Amino acid sequence: MKRIVIPGEMVSDQRKRLGGNVFVSDGKIYSKVLGISDESDEKASVIPLEGKYFPQAEDVVMGVVSRVVFAGYGININSFTESFIPRSAMREDLRVGDLVSSKISYVNELREAELGFPRRMFGGDVIEVTPVRTPRLIGKNGSMLELLKQGTGADIIVGKNGRVWARNGNLDLLRKVVMFINDNSYKSNLTNSVEAFFKAEGIQINIAPKGEKTNNAAEESEVLEANAEESEVLGGAESEELN
Amino acid sequence: MTEEKIPDYKKDKKRVDGRKMDELRPISIKVGVLPNADGSAYLEWGQNKVYAAVYGPREALPKHTQNPYKAVVKVTYRMATFSVPERKQPRPNRRDMEISKVLGEALTKVIFTEQFPNTEIGVYVEVVDSNAGSRVACLTAASCALANAGIPMKDLVAATGIGKAFGELIVDLNKDEEDAPDAVDIPFGIMPNSGEIVLLQMDGLLTKEEWAKLVPLGMKACADVYAVQKKALQEKFSLSEVSEKNVEAVVEAKVKQEKADTKTEKKDQADKKSAGSVKPGVLQQVKAKKVRK
Repeated sequence: MKRIVIPGEMVSDQRKRLGGNVFVSDGKIYSKVLGISDESDEKASVIPLEGKYFPQAEDVVMGVVSRVVFAGYGININSFTESFIPRSAMREDLRVGDLVSSKISYVNELREAELGFPRRMFGGDVIEVTPVRTPRLIGKNGSMLELLKQGTGADIIVGKNGRVWARNGNLDLLRKVVMFINDNSYKSNLTNSVEAFFKAEGIQINIAPKGEKTNNAAEESEVLEANAEESEVLGGAESEELN
Repeated sequence: MTEEKIPDYKKDKKRVDGRKMDELRPISIKVGVLPNADGSAYLEWGQNKVYAAVYGPREALPKHTQNPYKAVVKVTYRMATFSVPERKQPRPNRRDMEISKVLGEALTKVIFTEQFPNTEIGVYVEVVDSNAGSRVACLTAASCALANAGIPMKDLVAATGIGKAFGELIVDLNKDEEDAPDAVDIPFGIMPNSGEIVLLQMDGLLTKEEWAKLVPLGMKACADVYAVQKKALQEKFSLSEVSEKNVEAVVEAKVKQEKADTKTEKKDQADKKSAGSVKPGVLQQVKAKKVRK
Protein backbone atom coordinates (compact mmCIF):
# COMPACT_ATOMS: atom_id res chain seq x y z
CA MET A 1 0.00 0.00 0.00
CA LYS A 2 1.27 3.40 -0.95
CA ARG A 3 0.67 6.36 1.24
CA ILE A 4 1.79 9.95 1.71
CA VAL A 5 4.16 10.37 4.63
CA ILE A 6 5.30 13.58 6.29
CA PRO A 7 8.65 14.23 7.97
CA GLY A 8 8.99 12.19 11.15
CA GLU A 9 6.23 9.76 10.26
CA MET A 10 7.02 6.09 10.71
CA VAL A 11 7.71 4.24 7.48
CA SER A 12 8.24 0.83 9.03
CA ASP A 13 8.71 -0.66 12.48
CA GLN A 14 10.47 -3.70 11.08
CA ARG A 15 14.07 -4.19 10.14
CA LYS A 16 14.37 -3.48 6.44
CA ARG A 17 16.94 -2.49 3.91
CA LEU A 18 17.23 1.30 3.95
CA GLY A 19 16.41 3.30 0.86
CA GLY A 20 16.48 7.02 0.34
CA ASN A 21 15.10 9.76 2.58
CA VAL A 22 14.65 7.70 5.72
CA PHE A 23 16.39 7.62 9.08
CA VAL A 24 16.50 5.09 11.90
CA SER A 25 15.66 5.89 15.48
CA ASP A 26 15.22 3.24 18.19
CA GLY A 27 15.23 0.48 15.57
CA LYS A 28 12.29 1.98 13.71
CA ILE A 29 12.39 3.64 10.33
CA TYR A 30 11.06 7.16 9.85
CA SER A 31 10.66 9.45 6.86
CA LYS A 32 12.82 12.52 6.46
CA VAL A 33 10.67 14.27 3.90
CA LEU A 34 7.17 14.75 2.57
CA GLY A 35 6.81 11.93 0.10
CA ILE A 36 5.35 8.61 -0.94
CA SER A 37 6.19 5.42 0.90
CA ASP A 38 5.33 1.89 -0.11
CA GLU A 39 4.88 -0.52 2.77
CA SER A 40 4.87 -3.64 0.61
CA ASP A 41 8.32 -2.76 -0.75
CA GLU A 42 11.14 -4.85 0.68
CA LYS A 43 13.19 -1.68 0.98
CA ALA A 44 12.11 1.10 3.32
CA SER A 45 12.32 4.26 1.26
CA VAL A 46 10.45 7.47 0.58
CA ILE A 47 10.07 9.11 -2.83
CA PRO A 48 10.17 12.85 -2.21
CA LEU A 49 7.40 15.05 -3.57
CA GLU A 50 9.14 18.37 -3.12
CA GLY A 51 12.69 19.49 -2.87
CA LYS A 52 15.74 21.08 -4.34
CA TYR A 53 18.19 19.43 -6.68
CA PHE A 54 20.91 17.34 -5.04
CA PRO A 55 23.81 17.07 -7.46
CA GLN A 56 24.94 13.50 -8.04
CA ALA A 57 27.72 12.13 -10.17
CA GLU A 58 26.65 11.02 -13.67
CA ASP A 59 23.60 13.32 -13.71
CA VAL A 60 22.94 15.22 -16.91
CA VAL A 61 22.15 18.81 -16.01
CA MET A 62 21.23 22.01 -17.81
CA GLY A 63 23.36 24.86 -16.55
CA VAL A 64 23.09 28.57 -17.13
CA VAL A 65 26.19 30.72 -17.31
CA SER A 66 25.88 33.09 -14.39
CA ARG A 67 29.35 34.57 -14.25
CA VAL A 68 32.28 34.99 -16.61
CA VAL A 69 35.76 35.38 -15.18
CA PHE A 70 39.23 35.19 -16.70
CA ALA A 71 39.70 31.50 -15.90
CA GLY A 72 36.28 30.30 -16.99
CA TYR A 73 32.58 30.38 -16.32
CA GLY A 74 30.40 30.12 -13.23
CA ILE A 75 27.47 27.85 -14.00
CA ASN A 76 24.17 27.86 -12.17
CA ILE A 77 22.93 24.26 -12.05
CA ASN A 78 19.98 24.97 -9.77
CA SER A 79 21.89 23.53 -6.81
CA PHE A 80 23.17 25.09 -3.59
CA THR A 81 26.46 26.16 -5.05
CA GLU A 82 27.67 27.43 -8.37
CA SER A 83 29.72 25.08 -10.55
CA PHE A 84 32.67 26.06 -12.66
CA ILE A 85 33.77 25.29 -16.20
CA PRO A 86 37.32 26.31 -17.10
CA ARG A 87 37.70 28.31 -20.29
CA SER A 88 39.91 25.56 -21.71
CA ALA A 89 37.02 23.06 -21.62
CA MET A 90 34.94 25.05 -24.07
CA ARG A 91 35.76 25.49 -27.71
CA GLU A 92 33.79 28.71 -28.01
CA ASP A 93 33.37 31.63 -25.65
CA LEU A 94 30.28 31.71 -23.44
CA ARG A 95 28.32 34.69 -22.26
CA VAL A 96 26.17 35.24 -19.21
CA GLY A 97 22.78 33.59 -19.83
CA ASP A 98 24.02 30.92 -22.24
CA LEU A 99 22.67 27.43 -21.73
CA VAL A 100 25.13 24.58 -21.22
CA SER A 101 24.33 20.90 -20.95
CA SER A 102 26.77 18.89 -18.94
CA LYS A 103 27.33 15.70 -17.04
CA ILE A 104 28.36 15.89 -13.42
CA SER A 105 31.68 14.09 -13.04
CA TYR A 106 32.21 14.43 -9.31
CA VAL A 107 30.46 15.80 -6.25
CA ASN A 108 32.50 16.58 -3.17
CA GLU A 109 31.47 16.48 0.48
CA LEU A 110 30.28 20.08 0.32
CA ARG A 111 27.93 19.13 -2.53
CA GLU A 112 29.92 21.17 -5.00
CA ALA A 113 29.59 19.62 -8.45
CA GLU A 114 32.32 19.31 -11.04
CA LEU A 115 31.03 19.41 -14.57
CA GLY A 116 32.28 17.28 -17.42
CA PHE A 117 31.51 17.22 -21.14
CA PRO A 118 30.07 20.73 -21.30
CA ARG A 119 28.15 21.49 -24.47
CA ARG A 120 26.56 24.77 -25.35
CA MET A 121 22.89 24.44 -26.31
CA PHE A 122 21.78 26.54 -29.26
CA GLY A 123 18.23 27.83 -29.53
CA GLY A 124 15.37 25.89 -28.06
CA ASP A 125 13.35 26.53 -24.98
CA VAL A 126 13.68 25.68 -21.32
CA ILE A 127 10.79 24.41 -19.19
CA GLU A 128 11.43 24.52 -15.46
CA VAL A 129 9.99 21.69 -13.38
CA THR A 130 10.42 20.44 -9.83
CA PRO A 131 13.79 18.64 -9.81
CA VAL A 132 12.65 15.64 -7.74
CA ARG A 133 9.89 14.94 -10.26
CA THR A 134 12.09 14.62 -13.36
CA PRO A 135 12.18 10.77 -13.19
CA ARG A 136 8.49 10.88 -14.10
CA LEU A 137 9.30 12.89 -17.26
CA ILE A 138 11.71 10.18 -18.35
CA GLY A 139 9.57 7.22 -17.35
CA LYS A 140 10.50 3.60 -17.11
CA ASN A 141 13.13 2.81 -19.74
CA GLY A 142 12.64 6.33 -21.05
CA SER A 143 9.09 5.56 -22.11
CA MET A 144 7.63 8.93 -21.20
CA LEU A 145 10.49 10.83 -22.84
CA GLU A 146 10.04 8.84 -26.04
CA LEU A 147 6.32 9.54 -25.89
CA LEU A 148 6.86 13.28 -25.49
CA LYS A 149 9.34 13.32 -28.37
CA GLN A 150 6.94 11.54 -30.69
CA GLY A 151 3.87 13.40 -29.52
CA THR A 152 5.29 16.85 -30.00
CA GLY A 153 8.03 16.22 -32.54
CA ALA A 154 10.51 18.05 -30.33
CA ASP A 155 14.12 17.27 -29.48
CA ILE A 156 14.12 17.00 -25.70
CA ILE A 157 16.82 16.72 -23.07
CA VAL A 158 15.71 16.36 -19.49
CA GLY A 159 18.20 17.90 -17.10
CA LYS A 160 18.07 16.21 -13.70
CA ASN A 161 18.24 19.65 -12.12
CA GLY A 162 14.69 20.42 -13.22
CA ARG A 163 15.39 22.14 -16.51
CA VAL A 164 13.90 20.53 -19.59
CA TRP A 165 15.41 21.74 -22.82
CA ALA A 166 13.43 21.37 -26.04
CA ARG A 167 13.79 22.49 -29.61
CA ASN A 168 11.66 22.18 -32.77
CA GLY A 169 8.24 20.60 -32.68
CA ASN A 170 5.13 21.78 -30.91
CA LEU A 171 6.67 23.43 -27.87
CA ASP A 172 3.43 24.96 -26.61
CA LEU A 173 1.84 21.54 -26.41
CA LEU A 174 4.98 20.11 -24.88
CA ARG A 175 5.05 22.76 -22.19
CA LYS A 176 1.48 22.00 -21.20
CA VAL A 177 1.98 18.25 -21.10
CA VAL A 178 5.25 18.60 -19.17
CA MET A 179 3.62 20.87 -16.63
CA PHE A 180 0.75 18.41 -16.34
CA ILE A 181 3.17 15.58 -15.62
CA ASN A 182 4.94 17.80 -13.12
CA ASP A 183 1.71 18.62 -11.33
CA ASN A 184 0.53 14.99 -11.26
CA SER A 185 3.85 13.27 -10.73
CA TYR A 186 2.61 11.44 -7.64
CA LYS A 187 -0.23 9.69 -9.45
CA SER A 188 -0.05 6.37 -11.23
CA ASN A 189 -0.91 5.50 -14.85
CA LEU A 190 0.69 8.70 -16.18
CA THR A 191 2.38 7.34 -19.30
CA ASN A 192 -0.71 5.50 -20.50
CA SER A 193 -2.96 8.50 -20.08
CA VAL A 194 -0.54 10.83 -21.84
CA GLU A 195 -0.24 8.33 -24.69
CA ALA A 196 -4.02 8.12 -24.94
CA PHE A 197 -4.17 11.89 -24.91
CA PHE A 198 -1.75 12.20 -27.84
CA LYS A 199 -3.68 9.57 -29.77
CA ALA A 200 -6.93 11.40 -29.15
CA GLU A 201 -5.27 14.52 -30.56
CA GLY A 202 -4.63 12.57 -33.75
CA ILE A 203 -0.89 12.24 -33.27
CA GLN A 204 0.70 8.99 -34.42
CA ILE A 205 2.56 7.20 -31.67
CA ASN A 206 4.60 4.08 -32.10
CA ILE A 207 6.95 3.34 -29.28
CA ALA A 208 10.26 2.08 -30.63
CA PRO A 209 11.65 -1.16 -29.25
CA LYS A 210 14.15 -0.89 -26.46
CA GLY A 211 17.83 -0.48 -27.18
CA GLU A 212 17.32 1.68 -30.26
CA LYS A 213 20.24 3.97 -30.81
CA THR A 214 19.75 7.63 -30.15
CA ASN A 215 21.91 10.00 -32.13
CA ASN A 216 22.54 12.27 -29.20
CA ALA A 217 25.19 11.32 -26.68
CA ALA A 218 23.65 13.32 -23.88
CA GLU A 219 20.21 11.88 -24.52
CA GLU A 220 21.50 8.37 -24.64
CA SER A 221 23.21 8.61 -21.30
CA GLU A 222 20.06 10.29 -20.02
CA VAL A 223 17.92 7.34 -20.99
CA LEU A 224 20.38 4.84 -19.57
CA GLU A 225 20.36 6.69 -16.31
CA ALA A 226 16.64 6.83 -16.38
CA ASN A 227 16.58 3.07 -16.45
CA ALA A 228 18.63 2.82 -13.32
CA GLU A 229 16.95 5.74 -11.62
CA GLU A 230 13.42 4.74 -12.48
CA SER A 231 13.58 1.28 -11.06
CA GLU A 232 15.10 2.77 -7.95
CA VAL A 233 12.82 5.69 -7.53
CA LEU A 234 9.44 4.55 -8.65
CA GLY A 235 9.47 0.92 -7.69
CA GLY A 236 6.40 -0.83 -9.01
CA ALA A 237 4.63 2.40 -9.85
CA GLU A 238 4.59 1.84 -13.55
CA SER A 239 4.86 -1.90 -13.76
CA GLU A 240 1.79 -1.98 -15.97
CA GLU A 241 3.69 0.04 -18.52
CA LEU A 242 6.44 -2.46 -19.06
CA ASN A 243 4.81 -3.91 -22.13
CA MET B 1 -11.22 46.79 32.42
CA THR B 2 -11.18 48.02 36.02
CA GLU B 3 -14.94 48.50 36.18
CA GLU B 4 -15.66 45.14 34.61
CA LYS B 5 -15.91 42.11 36.77
CA ILE B 6 -12.69 40.08 36.69
CA PRO B 7 -13.54 36.56 35.53
CA ASP B 8 -12.83 33.61 37.79
CA TYR B 9 -12.20 30.46 35.79
CA LYS B 10 -12.50 28.17 38.82
CA LYS B 11 -16.12 29.29 39.27
CA ASP B 12 -17.11 29.97 35.65
CA LYS B 13 -15.83 26.66 34.23
CA LYS B 14 -15.68 28.53 30.94
CA ARG B 15 -13.21 30.99 29.44
CA VAL B 16 -13.81 34.58 28.32
CA ASP B 17 -14.28 33.48 24.73
CA GLY B 18 -16.39 30.44 25.69
CA ARG B 19 -13.69 27.82 25.25
CA LYS B 20 -13.00 24.90 27.57
CA MET B 21 -9.79 25.08 29.62
CA ASP B 22 -7.89 22.70 27.32
CA GLU B 23 -9.43 23.83 24.05
CA LEU B 24 -7.49 25.46 21.22
CA ARG B 25 -8.74 28.28 19.06
CA PRO B 26 -9.67 27.05 15.55
CA ILE B 27 -6.59 26.41 13.38
CA SER B 28 -6.39 26.16 9.61
CA ILE B 29 -3.22 25.73 7.56
CA LYS B 30 -2.63 25.88 3.82
CA VAL B 31 0.73 25.01 2.29
CA GLY B 32 2.32 26.08 -0.97
CA VAL B 33 0.66 29.48 -1.05
CA LEU B 34 3.64 31.56 -2.23
CA PRO B 35 4.79 30.56 -5.74
CA ASN B 36 8.19 32.26 -5.54
CA ALA B 37 9.26 30.54 -2.32
CA ASP B 38 10.71 27.01 -2.19
CA GLY B 39 8.14 26.21 0.46
CA SER B 40 5.43 28.22 2.14
CA ALA B 41 2.46 28.03 4.47
CA TYR B 42 -0.41 30.24 5.56
CA LEU B 43 -1.86 29.71 8.97
CA GLU B 44 -4.90 31.08 10.73
CA TRP B 45 -5.09 30.43 14.44
CA GLY B 46 -7.99 32.23 16.03
CA GLN B 47 -7.35 35.84 15.08
CA ASN B 48 -3.67 35.18 14.30
CA LYS B 49 -2.82 35.20 10.62
CA VAL B 50 0.68 34.20 9.62
CA TYR B 51 2.60 33.63 6.41
CA ALA B 52 5.77 31.53 6.42
CA ALA B 53 8.17 31.26 3.48
CA VAL B 54 11.23 29.06 3.14
CA TYR B 55 14.08 29.70 0.74
CA GLY B 56 16.92 27.29 0.32
CA PRO B 57 19.08 25.55 1.25
CA ARG B 58 21.10 28.15 -0.59
CA GLU B 59 24.63 29.44 -0.43
CA ALA B 60 25.04 31.41 2.79
CA LEU B 61 26.26 34.90 2.10
CA PRO B 62 28.23 36.82 3.35
CA LYS B 63 30.69 33.98 3.46
CA HIS B 64 31.66 34.34 7.12
CA THR B 65 28.15 33.22 8.11
CA GLN B 66 28.78 29.80 6.56
CA ASN B 67 29.41 26.78 8.69
CA PRO B 68 31.38 24.08 6.87
CA TYR B 69 29.73 21.36 8.99
CA LYS B 70 26.05 22.26 8.78
CA ALA B 71 23.40 24.56 7.42
CA VAL B 72 22.51 27.77 9.20
CA VAL B 73 18.80 28.22 9.83
CA LYS B 74 18.05 31.91 9.60
CA VAL B 75 14.60 32.88 10.78
CA THR B 76 13.21 36.37 10.31
CA TYR B 77 10.12 37.10 12.37
CA ARG B 78 8.28 40.22 11.36
CA MET B 79 5.03 41.79 12.40
CA ALA B 80 3.14 43.87 9.90
CA THR B 81 2.52 47.42 11.09
CA PHE B 82 -1.22 46.79 11.01
CA SER B 83 -1.10 43.46 12.85
CA VAL B 84 -1.67 45.03 16.28
CA PRO B 85 -4.18 47.65 17.49
CA GLU B 86 -1.50 50.33 17.91
CA ARG B 87 0.71 50.72 14.83
CA LYS B 88 3.88 48.68 15.20
CA GLN B 89 7.11 50.36 14.30
CA PRO B 90 8.32 48.43 11.25
CA ARG B 91 11.95 48.34 12.34
CA PRO B 92 12.92 45.05 14.02
CA ASN B 93 12.91 45.60 17.75
CA ARG B 94 14.32 43.60 20.64
CA ARG B 95 11.29 41.31 20.76
CA ASP B 96 11.39 40.53 17.02
CA MET B 97 15.06 39.64 17.17
CA GLU B 98 14.57 37.43 20.22
CA ILE B 99 11.70 35.56 18.60
CA SER B 100 13.70 35.10 15.39
CA LYS B 101 16.49 33.60 17.46
CA VAL B 102 14.40 31.16 19.50
CA LEU B 103 12.40 30.03 16.47
CA GLY B 104 15.65 29.43 14.59
CA GLU B 105 16.97 27.33 17.43
CA ALA B 106 13.76 25.31 17.63
CA LEU B 107 13.78 24.59 13.89
CA THR B 108 17.50 23.75 13.86
CA LYS B 109 16.65 20.89 16.23
CA VAL B 110 14.44 19.17 13.66
CA ILE B 111 16.31 19.85 10.42
CA PHE B 112 19.12 17.55 9.28
CA THR B 113 21.41 20.55 9.00
CA GLU B 114 24.55 18.46 8.63
CA GLN B 115 23.36 17.41 5.16
CA PHE B 116 23.84 20.93 3.83
CA PRO B 117 27.26 22.31 4.73
CA ASN B 118 27.98 25.95 3.93
CA THR B 119 24.36 26.73 3.23
CA GLU B 120 21.63 28.81 4.74
CA ILE B 121 17.97 27.93 5.09
CA GLY B 122 16.06 31.18 5.09
CA VAL B 123 12.73 31.12 6.92
CA TYR B 124 10.64 34.27 6.80
CA VAL B 125 7.56 34.50 8.98
CA GLU B 126 5.24 37.46 8.63
CA VAL B 127 2.49 38.15 11.13
CA VAL B 128 -0.40 39.81 9.34
CA ASP B 129 -2.85 39.79 12.23
CA SER B 130 -2.21 38.88 15.82
CA ASN B 131 -3.95 38.18 19.08
CA ALA B 132 -1.53 36.50 21.51
CA GLY B 133 0.49 33.39 20.70
CA SER B 134 1.89 34.65 17.43
CA ARG B 135 5.30 33.07 17.99
CA VAL B 136 3.86 29.58 18.39
CA ALA B 137 1.67 30.22 15.35
CA CYS B 138 4.80 31.22 13.43
CA LEU B 139 6.70 28.13 14.56
CA THR B 140 3.82 25.86 13.54
CA ALA B 141 3.54 27.55 10.14
CA ALA B 142 7.31 27.57 9.60
CA SER B 143 7.65 23.84 10.16
CA CYS B 144 4.90 23.21 7.60
CA ALA B 145 6.66 25.50 5.14
CA LEU B 146 9.92 23.59 5.69
CA ALA B 147 8.20 20.27 4.96
CA ASN B 148 6.61 21.85 1.89
CA ALA B 149 10.08 22.90 0.72
CA GLY B 150 11.20 19.26 0.88
CA ILE B 151 13.86 19.88 3.49
CA PRO B 152 14.86 16.69 5.37
CA MET B 153 13.60 16.84 8.94
CA LYS B 154 13.42 14.52 11.94
CA ASP B 155 9.93 15.68 12.74
CA LEU B 156 7.61 18.63 12.44
CA VAL B 157 7.35 21.15 15.23
CA ALA B 158 3.96 21.65 16.80
CA ALA B 159 3.63 24.50 19.23
CA THR B 160 1.01 26.13 21.39
CA GLY B 161 0.76 28.55 24.26
CA ILE B 162 0.13 27.07 27.68
CA GLY B 163 -0.17 28.77 31.05
CA LYS B 164 -2.45 30.11 33.71
CA ALA B 165 -5.02 32.87 33.83
CA PHE B 166 -7.84 33.85 36.19
CA GLY B 167 -6.89 31.05 38.58
CA GLU B 168 -6.94 28.06 36.24
CA LEU B 169 -4.41 26.21 34.07
CA ILE B 170 -5.28 26.73 30.42
CA VAL B 171 -4.06 26.11 26.90
CA ASP B 172 -3.62 28.58 24.03
CA LEU B 173 -4.08 31.91 25.82
CA ASN B 174 -5.71 34.78 24.00
CA LYS B 175 -4.93 38.46 24.54
CA ASP B 176 -7.42 38.94 27.41
CA GLU B 177 -5.97 35.97 29.27
CA GLU B 178 -2.42 37.08 28.61
CA ASP B 179 -3.28 40.41 30.28
CA ALA B 180 -4.88 38.75 33.32
CA PRO B 181 -3.46 39.82 36.70
CA ASP B 182 -2.17 36.33 37.50
CA ALA B 183 -1.24 35.42 33.92
CA VAL B 184 1.49 32.94 33.15
CA ASP B 185 2.27 32.55 29.46
CA ILE B 186 4.50 29.74 28.20
CA PRO B 187 5.18 29.30 24.48
CA PHE B 188 5.58 25.54 24.22
CA GLY B 189 6.92 23.80 21.12
CA ILE B 190 7.54 20.07 20.79
CA MET B 191 8.53 17.42 18.31
CA PRO B 192 5.23 15.52 18.39
CA ASN B 193 6.55 12.03 17.62
CA SER B 194 9.32 11.96 20.20
CA GLY B 195 7.81 14.46 22.65
CA GLU B 196 11.03 16.43 22.85
CA ILE B 197 10.60 20.07 23.81
CA VAL B 198 12.21 22.52 21.38
CA LEU B 199 10.72 25.82 22.53
CA LEU B 200 10.04 26.85 26.09
CA GLN B 201 9.85 30.34 27.48
CA MET B 202 7.95 31.65 30.48
CA ASP B 203 6.48 34.88 31.79
CA GLY B 204 5.20 34.75 35.37
CA LEU B 205 5.35 32.24 38.18
CA LEU B 206 4.06 28.69 38.59
CA THR B 207 4.32 26.18 41.42
CA LYS B 208 5.95 22.83 40.81
CA GLU B 209 2.59 21.06 41.02
CA GLU B 210 1.03 23.42 38.49
CA TRP B 211 3.94 22.88 36.12
CA ALA B 212 3.59 19.09 36.42
CA LYS B 213 -0.06 19.37 35.49
CA LEU B 214 0.52 21.85 32.69
CA VAL B 215 3.05 19.90 30.61
CA PRO B 216 0.74 16.94 29.77
CA LEU B 217 -1.93 19.51 28.92
CA GLY B 218 0.49 21.15 26.48
CA MET B 219 1.52 17.83 24.96
CA LYS B 220 -2.10 16.97 24.28
CA ALA B 221 -2.78 20.36 22.71
CA CYS B 222 0.32 20.05 20.51
CA ALA B 223 -0.92 16.68 19.32
CA ASP B 224 -4.08 18.45 18.11
CA VAL B 225 -1.95 21.06 16.33
CA TYR B 226 0.11 18.27 14.75
CA ALA B 227 -3.03 16.62 13.35
CA VAL B 228 -3.91 19.87 11.57
CA GLN B 229 -0.37 20.20 10.20
CA LYS B 230 -0.37 16.65 8.92
CA LYS B 231 -3.69 17.08 7.17
CA ALA B 232 -2.56 20.34 5.57
CA LEU B 233 0.60 18.74 4.16
CA GLN B 234 -1.14 15.62 2.87
CA GLU B 235 -4.30 17.08 1.37
CA LYS B 236 -2.45 18.55 -1.63
CA PHE B 237 -1.67 15.08 -2.92
CA SER B 238 -4.12 12.27 -3.53
CA LEU B 239 -2.86 8.96 -4.85
CA SER B 240 -5.52 8.51 -7.48
CA GLU B 241 -5.02 7.47 -11.07
CA VAL B 242 -4.79 9.88 -13.95
CA SER B 243 -7.15 9.42 -16.86
CA GLU B 244 -6.62 10.75 -20.35
CA LYS B 245 -9.68 12.96 -19.93
CA ASN B 246 -7.84 14.53 -17.07
CA VAL B 247 -4.91 15.45 -19.31
CA GLU B 248 -7.25 16.72 -21.98
CA ALA B 249 -9.19 18.90 -19.60
CA VAL B 250 -6.06 20.47 -18.16
CA VAL B 251 -4.52 21.15 -21.54
CA GLU B 252 -7.76 22.55 -22.92
CA ALA B 253 -8.19 24.80 -19.93
CA LYS B 254 -4.67 26.11 -20.39
CA VAL B 255 -5.28 26.73 -24.10
CA LYS B 256 -8.44 28.66 -23.27
CA GLN B 257 -6.64 30.63 -20.65
CA GLU B 258 -3.84 31.49 -23.03
CA LYS B 259 -6.31 32.68 -25.65
CA ALA B 260 -7.94 34.93 -23.09
CA ASP B 261 -4.57 36.25 -22.14
CA THR B 262 -3.59 37.19 -25.67
CA LYS B 263 -6.82 39.10 -25.98
CA THR B 264 -6.28 41.12 -22.85
CA GLU B 265 -2.64 42.05 -22.73
CA LYS B 266 0.48 40.88 -24.43
CA LYS B 267 2.62 41.95 -21.55
CA ASP B 268 0.69 39.79 -19.14
CA GLN B 269 1.25 36.75 -21.30
CA ALA B 270 4.96 37.35 -21.49
CA ASP B 271 5.09 37.35 -17.72
CA LYS B 272 3.12 34.13 -17.50
CA LYS B 273 5.32 32.38 -20.01
CA SER B 274 8.43 33.36 -18.21
CA ALA B 275 6.96 31.89 -15.06
CA GLY B 276 6.52 28.45 -16.62
CA SER B 277 9.48 28.49 -18.93
CA VAL B 278 12.48 30.70 -19.13
CA LYS B 279 14.04 31.55 -22.44
CA PRO B 280 17.78 32.07 -22.54
CA GLY B 281 17.25 35.78 -23.11
CA VAL B 282 15.10 36.15 -20.03
CA LEU B 283 17.41 34.00 -17.97
CA GLN B 284 20.23 36.26 -18.95
CA GLN B 285 18.44 39.19 -17.40
CA VAL B 286 17.54 37.24 -14.29
CA LYS B 287 21.06 36.00 -13.80
CA ALA B 288 22.52 39.41 -14.47
CA LYS B 289 20.36 40.78 -11.68
CA LYS B 290 21.52 38.07 -9.33
CA VAL B 291 25.15 38.77 -10.14
CA ARG B 292 24.72 42.45 -9.41
CA LYS B 293 23.40 41.62 -5.96
